[in-house]
Amino acid sequence: MSAEALADPIVRITALRKSYGTNEVLKGIDLDVKRGEVVAIIGKSGSGKSTLLRCVNGLEQFQEGSLAVNGRPLLHESAMAMRELRQQVGMIFQGFNLFPHLSVGRNVMLAPTLVKQRSPNQAAEQATRLLNRVGLADKFNAMPDQLSGGQQQRVAIARALAMEPAVLLCDEITSALDPELVGEVLRVVEALADEGMTLMMVTHEMNFARKVADRVIFMHQGRVHEVGPPGELFNSPRTPELQQFLSAVRD
Amino acid sequence: MIEFTLWDIVRNLLLALRWTAALSAIAFIGGGLVGALLLTLRLGLGRRTQRVIGAYVQLFQGTPLLMQLFLAYFGLALLGLDVSAWAAAALALTLYTSAYLVEIWRGCVDAVPRGQWEAAKSLALSFGEQLRHVILPQAGRLAIAPTVGFLVQVIKGTALASVIGFVELTKAGGMIANASFKPFLVFGCVALLYFALCFPISLFAQHLEGKSHVR
Repeated sequence: MSAEALADPIVRITALRKSYGTNEVLKGIDLDVKRGEVVAIIGKSGSGKSTLLRCVNGLEQFQEGSLAVNGRPLLHESAMAMRELRQQVGMIFQGFNLFPHLSVGRNVMLAPTLVKQRSPNQAAEQATRLLNRVGLADKFNAMPDQLSGGQQQRVAIARALAMEPAVLLCDEITSALDPELVGEVLRVVEALADEGMTLMMVTHEMNFARKVADRVIFMHQGRVHEVGPPGELFNSPRTPELQQFLSAVRD
Repeated sequence: MIEFTLWDIVRNLLLALRWTAALSAIAFIGGGLVGALLLTLRLGLGRRTQRVIGAYVQLFQGTPLLMQLFLAYFGLALLGLDVSAWAAAALALTLYTSAYLVEIWRGCVDAVPRGQWEAAKSLALSFGEQLRHVILPQAGRLAIAPTVGFLVQVIKGTALASVIGFVELTKAGGMIANASFKPFLVFGCVALLYFALCFPISLFAQHLEGKSHVR
């Protein structure tokens, strides 16, 4: 890939609008995410931050505007194009969403064997490597319901990584966890960020966003209300809405 | 007048029981296949298909099986098709069973959390792969008990095929009762035979239900 292509944004969102019936939840979003960038999206519930994230891998359809990943536009009508796009974009959910009928190892192996036609041996080898990376090397044969929430979420991360995505979307991935389990998941995400993975994360963990993010986006009423490096945004918020949000979060 | 011994009665009823079992099996296998096809269409295609299949389900659930049997037998004859009682009964019971099974199974698919679909989708699985590897294994586990339970309804439903002249257990019972003048004994035996067929299946369904709760 040429240097120019590397400099191009990996995710480009242009004038994106999305409504549920008459209720417009995203009112014209413009956002570029660079390769290797870590973007944290914060905001009140109902501000549209999760919806925006879910638009990026096509879990939500939008009515206007455009969205491109790696230069390829998202086309809802084409199942082929969606399949291509989703190979580029991994997603980790608040509720883990592991497949309960499959062992941990099989959870990680399923998509690569089906979508990338890996041999079972290759896929198993890769799954072992990824589980090792998230600190769960010994859980290959465990069933998801035998794991703690934090462990399940780390398996979900390994499962997403198995598709070797260019971007990883994290949708409030620690919100369903007991407080003592949040740290182990965030450490894995931080390590990914350090290794240069492009991350878009919706989060309520302000300290984590401050520490890991290159850029923080504050969403308010379906718009990108304020953008900036974490130091700037958290220390000297410019708009009253962000000031109010930050003081509410700190309480 | 010929004297009917108990063995004569039971022997003839047992012979007729074969047809009840065969009709049940056809209804269940045929209904299962049609139901599975309709379920896949309903999940994979748009709103319009859903509505058409919804109407199909309502039609068969909202009318008595007896009417469906009459319509299949006499209706097809009106259209110039010469159908045997066998074929008409098999057809009506297949459609009837499929309408119930598609609804039972749809409920089981709906019971699989949305997040499972989303996780499968975001891993770039195609619709067929999502269904086959993620959704159906989970829905299938939920579906076993109600499906086996419904089988009992189908077996008892085959009794209605007697009205179009199909000689299964109930019809045979009626004929033997008329000939032997022992209606109470004969129908008692008929009831016992239905029970012998259905009870083990009910037990099996309960056993499966218990199992799925423990999980």
